[in-house]
Amino acid sequence: MTDEMIVEGYVVKTDRLYTETDEWVKVEGGEVIVGITDYAQKQLQDITFVELPEPGLAVSAGESIGTIESVKAAAEIYAPISGTLSEINERLEDEPELINQDPYGEGWLVKIKPSQPIEEANLLTAEKYAALIRERIQ
Amino acid sequence: MTIRHPLRDLHVSLGARMGVFAGWEAPISYTSVIEEHLTVRREAGLFDLTHMGRIRVKGKGATELLDRLVPKKIAKAEPGSMPGPTAFLNGDAGFIDDIMPYRLGEDDWLLAVNAVNTDRDRRWIQVWKERLGYHDVTVSDVTLEYALIALQGPKSVEIAEKIGAGLLADLKPLTFYTDIEIAGQRVFLVSRSGWTGEDGFEFILTIPEAVELYKKLVDAGAKPAGLGARDSLRMEVGFVLAGEDIDEKTTPVDARYWLVFDYNKKDCVGCNALREALKQGASKVRYGVKLSKGERRIPRRGYKVYVRGTDVEIGTVTSGSYSPILQRGIGQAYIEPRHALPGLKVEVEMRGRRVKGKLVDFPFI
Repeated sequence: MTDEMIVEGYVVKTDRLYTETDEWVKVEGGEVIVGITDYAQKQLQDITFVELPEPGLAVSAGESIGTIESVKAAAEIYAPISGTLSEINERLEDEPELINQDPYGEGWLVKIKPSQPIEEANLLTAEKYAALIRERIQ
Repeated sequence: MTIRHPLRDLHVSLGARMGVFAGWEAPISYTSVIEEHLTVRREAGLFDLTHMGRIRVKGKGATELLDRLVPKKIAKAEPGSMPGPTAFLNGDAGFIDDIMPYRLGEDDWLLAVNAVNTDRDRRWIQVWKERLGYHDVTVSDVTLEYALIALQGPKSVEIAEKIGAGLLADLKPLTFYTDIEIAGQRVFLVSRSGWTGEDGFEFILTIPEAVELYKKLVDAGAKPAGLGARDSLRMEVGFVLAGEDIDEKTTPVDARYWLVFDYNKKDCVGCNALREALKQGASKVRYGVKLSKGERRIPRRGYKVYVRGTDVEIGTVTSGSYSPILQRGIGQAYIEPRHALPGLKVEVEMRGRRVKGKLVDFPFI
């Protein structure tokens, strides 16, 4: 059984949850790791800069927590869940292209210690996110 | 309505991400904009520019007519040469378009124009043709009859030689051959020209011939490159894009686009106004904004420019990009004349924050 689906050419990992704003959320221990999806990185193309806040910041679900700039456009990153930012991916300062190369792995953005149960965060399952991609392409 | 690209299948098969530009489908990138950009600077890239307008102006009086429509002395150009770039100017010396003319014969010209202005340019020539009485001149939009592909980069000659077109090495810059066979393909025109700041060749040929030549060039090592890389390449050398950096409210003096006119051109549409603009000086001045080292944010159209450390607003960005060579954001801006000082330290307001940079002249690299 594979841990990913290919939806209209976009990779969707089945081992995590998603937002309608194209972030992915993976539970690890008592925290969640957050990144942007393959669909999102493909829309942005060449990412040149990532702006992230300092660890320790309290965030609310849906709040903007940073920006990703690409040759094509700039996009906001939204907190998928309320909590405290515990860690940011320092590698992105010098290697923002990691997001294009490995959006679900090395290109992770931040880690959040949630202040609410994950079930309450209105996240999408991989199947629901896949359906969202199909809808958009229609 | 978007014009379907005539070479669409070829580009999609090569992995192109298609977008829309000036009402045309066009390949934006194949692998990555940055990778394609660097390949053009270091080796050779291959662009499909079929969306660009091509207007044929021929017949008795064609040279005289065109010479009256541009602020450059193009009548003295030899057939086989490109006396450009030049421009169509309005009554205030504002840009209707910047154009690249090719003199095919005594009274026979091909004009390469910006895709977004093709119709407008054709009507401009037509109106003046009638107004000035050049009844034997025909003006035709031949855009859809041909494709335009451009090989650009330091390895362009090497790749031309690989496909058996070594004769291209002898072409002087801004000159061309017409009706010639290149690697077994019939080519209407091949010029030594381009818009990237690198050596290269531009081929105008029919669609079926273009498909074959494109494939042969790729097989010989040319890397497909899209409009994304084309924009960052032209940005690094400070070339203007019509509709962004030049428009009807901008004169060649404001843009410091000296190549498009001759100071001693007596009579043309817009020449009087241009002379007046030279006497009055610019109302805004085009300069480069080079962000500080390592600053990879991109100055985008509409962003305001300030004297660093102050709230004194001095200008606005008209276009910007990421420079893979300088590894920072760069852009073009119009600055109010008193602050149009190369070397001046500035800040660009980007999405609520001020990013440091300085004003520089072109080219950036």
